[in-house]
Amino acid sequence: MIDSKKFNKSYFTQSIWLTFIFICLIFLASIFVAPTIGVILSSLKTKREIAFGLLWTFPTKLYLENYSIIITDPAVHQYFINTIFVTVPATLGSIFLGTLSGYVFANLPFRGSNFIFLVIVSGMFFPPQVILVPLFRLFNWMNLLDTLWPMIIVHIAMGIPICTLLLRNFFTTIPNELYESARIDGANEWQILFRVFLPICLPALAVLGTLQFTWIWNDFLWPLIFTQSDDKRTIMLGLVSMKGQYSVAWGTQGALSVIASLPTLIVFLFFQRFFIKGMTMGAVKG
Amino acid sequence: MTALILMRNKIFWRTIFLSPPLIVFSIFVLIPLINSFYYSFTNWNGFNSEYDFVGLENYTRIASDNLFQNSIFNTVIWLISAILIPTILGLLLALLIDSQVRGSNFFKSIFYLPICLSAVVVGQIWIWIYQQEWGLLNIIINLFRENSFEYAWLSKPETSLYSVIIAWSWQQTALSMVIFLAGLTSIPKNLLEASQIEGANIFQRTFFIVIPLLIPATIIVVALSMINSLKGFDILYIMTQGGPFHSSDTLAMHMYNESFKKYRMGYGSTISVVLFFIAVTIIGIYFRQLKKLDELYD
Repeated sequence: MIDSKKFNKSYFTQSIWLTFIFICLIFLASIFVAPTIGVILSSLKTKREIAFGLLWTFPTKLYLENYSIIITDPAVHQYFINTIFVTVPATLGSIFLGTLSGYVFANLPFRGSNFIFLVIVSGMFFPPQVILVPLFRLFNWMNLLDTLWPMIIVHIAMGIPICTLLLRNFFTTIPNELYESARIDGANEWQILFRVFLPICLPALAVLGTLQFTWIWNDFLWPLIFTQSDDKRTIMLGLVSMKGQYSVAWGTQGALSVIASLPTLIVFLFFQRFFIKGMTMGAVKG
Repeated sequence: MTALILMRNKIFWRTIFLSPPLIVFSIFVLIPLINSFYYSFTNWNGFNSEYDFVGLENYTRIASDNLFQNSIFNTVIWLISAILIPTILGLLLALLIDSQVRGSNFFKSIFYLPICLSAVVVGQIWIWIYQQEWGLLNIIINLFRENSFEYAWLSKPETSLYSVIIAWSWQQTALSMVIFLAGLTSIPKNLLEASQIEGANIFQRTFFIVIPLLIPATIIVVALSMINSLKGFDILYIMTQGGPFHSSDTLAMHMYNESFKKYRMGYGSTISVVLFFIAVTIIGIYFRQLKKLDELYD
């Protein structure tokens, strides 16, 4: 029997606690969201307003000049096109290659396959700066510097570890009977992988798609190293180089930041569940 | 007939499947990694295809390179604070959100948001927060002061590194919170209910039941924060470029400067070899801890 008086008391203290926690969270959330809000606010302000310290106040009227400057700038169009040309093939490519290797490690293991798997997965952890110089020389030798190719290739190669890891883990959860019965029906490995396994793996593919898309879109290091001319820059590098052009036009920079972040923000809002799942899976099962 | 047998052969399919990813990974990750060691013994300048072997010269140079020692020192500060802040803050946020509070999904989304922003945008945001005349930080400080306070946080050697660390932590906290939240969901609910019936209050429950059960998650968070902060370069490049006067140079930044600003790619490779060994040590410890945990729970 639960003493009702005691129970009521604990219920009362609990609701006080929850209110206290709620207030704490509101406080922390407003600190956390302030920087993001700041950028959005800046994009709606004139240079004058920002210089007078009004960046962080709520706008009194809707000022969209900054956005129209950015949207009509042909350089920005080029940055966006380049980023899409890098992000889409690199995302698909890394997931495709990860599917192939993940399938082998899960369903066709062989002597030493665990070791190879470990070598590939450890690629997730080391700092990319370590291979900067050799890659620079390699692409120089291949005559690919200042094109989009190095970025596509490197993102595919650097994406293989996480894609292999997540897909192998996902494939191992598929019951073996499915594999056996498909084989008995005469399907070869290629058909089993693409007709039987991949349709089941759509959630895992969505996880990887959102993660890879966000990382590649947001990347800054590789375009910094591999591109020189303005018409080969991706949006994040463009954002930095435009800081010179719009040196004190903070509002315009803010508008560009907002627009450059929109694709990943949209992906994040719609696929937040997948995104978070991917982050935990990649981290915990590493 | 032979084609049919081939199609049923596991070795055939293994080769077909594993070759493309292995070839791409080897050419663009593994071999460059090995080449990095090779170039660390040369004086390649980045332009000429010719270079000389200089033996251990680059490695002895490290010992006398003040900027290298400075960058090691900064990397240690960067590592320690980039572990402590996101871990503690992430744990706090995860505990608060997990307490069946109203609107927990809304709060989660807000705290997750920085993950999907690029380091370039995050850097941009925080430059404005630290801005001398109209930055948010100075505006807030001025609310509590009589005379006006104008401090350029990023262009003073005393504060530049720490200012970037705060910006970095703002983004990294989300990641550690995600992992702590995943750890919290794995704690059996009946354990908490039992303790509640036994009369344990919210503090006792948190400190004696929940936090000890979060040790595996904590190890993962700490290791990931270390690995991520070794990789951390973009945000430093955006916010300070390692300056002023190298006060925020980390190992990765120093390596970039030597290789791609001063075009001493041989020496840059030497620094990246050091970076590699630091990363390997951390990863090694991480895997060993994970293995120990596995044994503990099996």
